[in-house]
Amino acid sequence: MKKFSILPKNIVKEEKVSGYLLIAPAVILLTIFVIVPLIMAIYRSFFYFESGPNEAIFAGFSNYIKIFKNQNFVKSLLNVCIMTLFIVILQVIGAFLFANILVRIKNRFGIFARTIIYLPYLFSGIVVGCIFTLLTYYNGGVINGILGWMDIEPIAFTYSKFWAYISIIVPTIWIGSGYTTLIFYSGLINIPKDYYEASEIDGANFWKQMWYIVLPCLKNYFVLIIVTLVTANLQMFEIPMLMTNGQPLNSTMTPVLYLIHARANGNVSQSEIIASSIVIMIFIGALNAIVFSLSNRKKKGE
Amino acid sequence: MDKLDSRNKRKTKTTKSRVIEILLYLIVIIVLINIFLPLFFTILSMFKDKKEIFSLDFHIFPHQWTTDNFARLFYLQYTTIGVNFFQSFGMTLLVATISMVLSLFINSIAGYAFARLNFPFKKIIWVIVISTMFIPGITILLTSISVVSSLGMLNTILVLIVPGLANAYNIFFFKQFYLGFPKDYDEAARVDGCNSIEIFFKIFVPNSLTPMVIMGAGTFIGYYNSYLWPTLTIDKAHSQYTQIMTLINSLFQDINTVGYGAVLAASFISLIPAIVVFIIVQRFIKEGISLTGVK
Repeated sequence: MKKFSILPKNIVKEEKVSGYLLIAPAVILLTIFVIVPLIMAIYRSFFYFESGPNEAIFAGFSNYIKIFKNQNFVKSLLNVCIMTLFIVILQVIGAFLFANILVRIKNRFGIFARTIIYLPYLFSGIVVGCIFTLLTYYNGGVINGILGWMDIEPIAFTYSKFWAYISIIVPTIWIGSGYTTLIFYSGLINIPKDYYEASEIDGANFWKQMWYIVLPCLKNYFVLIIVTLVTANLQMFEIPMLMTNGQPLNSTMTPVLYLIHARANGNVSQSEIIASSIVIMIFIGALNAIVFSLSNRKKKGE
Repeated sequence: MDKLDSRNKRKTKTTKSRVIEILLYLIVIIVLINIFLPLFFTILSMFKDKKEIFSLDFHIFPHQWTTDNFARLFYLQYTTIGVNFFQSFGMTLLVATISMVLSLFINSIAGYAFARLNFPFKKIIWVIVISTMFIPGITILLTSISVVSSLGMLNTILVLIVPGLANAYNIFFFKQFYLGFPKDYDEAARVDGCNSIEIFFKIFVPNSLTPMVIMGAGTFIGYYNSYLWPTLTIDKAHSQYTQIMTLINSLFQDINTVGYGAVLAASFISLIPAIVVFIIVQRFIKEGISLTGVK
């Protein structure tokens, strides 16, 4: 507030007007297209609209109870958790190791590699799904074609649970890992060189430097990456839709894909779909809160 | 003897580090190959004949190179959608470009105001704006459709552009960037009698190439790649607004009629804008990541 008093009164007033003017478009749009829909969603999840959209009957938590009794939805939540777990672990470890390799290659080749790995991040899940299906197709797909040369039985990617998971996890990691690597890379080059030099004087080897310098310095990067990846992957549906469409026996069905199917088929009421989507929101929020609190607890222990 | 010993030691050390270095290069090369391999097979397969693509007798290179798949995209007035691939491609580029420009404008002025101006309730408004970042798209999907339908936007070009324009993440990014601007800049301009809005356009905008490129690229790609929203808000009677990902997905669902080659050709053409964006943006990526505020 002290800064305010230094400025002439007309500037303070001018800032007020300009400030509101400049944030107005963004705030109005966010209100109409995010906040209002959210309030509507919360409202609708507590009502029945069976007899038409204008006749709302209060339903309490019954929409929520119904969806938790809906085995397909619960199963899809479980599926997406398993897939997200694998994707996050593999991607975070892989990207971290790869960033450490890239830091050590300082010539033009290194710059080239750092640039290229970002490319798949710009591709849509739909297109990547189309491209990877070429690899996993049963009859004449690239992988089975090459296996055929070696007289190995073709893999039925949509009939075996294991291969169905693989055919979703691999493209997802293919899209995202380059960007994750770059974030780790920018974290690694921001670590002051003195830290390494000081530790070398103390006789620390490579592994000790990793444990006592690199990992603590990159802690926030890990938290940010994990939160982003968890949030994004729990909502995934494009890759599963194209690669397996939930097969076999709904074992790769994800919640978002399930809701899209349910909306198209009309076998689940709108209120229930909305209630499920709020469950997804709470679920993502809770998981992120856990990640944040875990990372903060470590800080206190230090 | 001693001298020789130490020389040998040095030699083994260098060979060891050599081996490690070669190993590192090998890993990088393998990763790069894995990035290119799917694209490589896509490019080869889109020149294959319709029958050849999924023949049981698999070979990497096409027996007979053909551009039929591209020709089909040109002539195919895709029946269940009722729009040609290139029409949809052009419309998507148009929507993404308009959205990018408007979005950069709306989000940068908001970011500037939150970073540099003082006005009442700024903190509360900021918290509300930022909290919208944590609302998953799926949660508000159905009710957003109700909102745009009651605004009469369904099946118009507006429904593709307007709802995604304001974006908390972009505002946050611009705010971070403008917080780092030297204070002298605006104070000097104030002395010259500029008001806050003039200061933004005269001093801040010319100096914000990096965030404009990064956020512009992100917004463009986000719009260009979006599938679910355009699919649910544009119906078949208004197929002139069909977005490219919707079209590619319906080509894919109808793969037996259109042929996989055409799907791959469509996919590959649709990657071109992304590759162009990639070429433009690659010089700014490093700076962009350091702006995201991880620290």
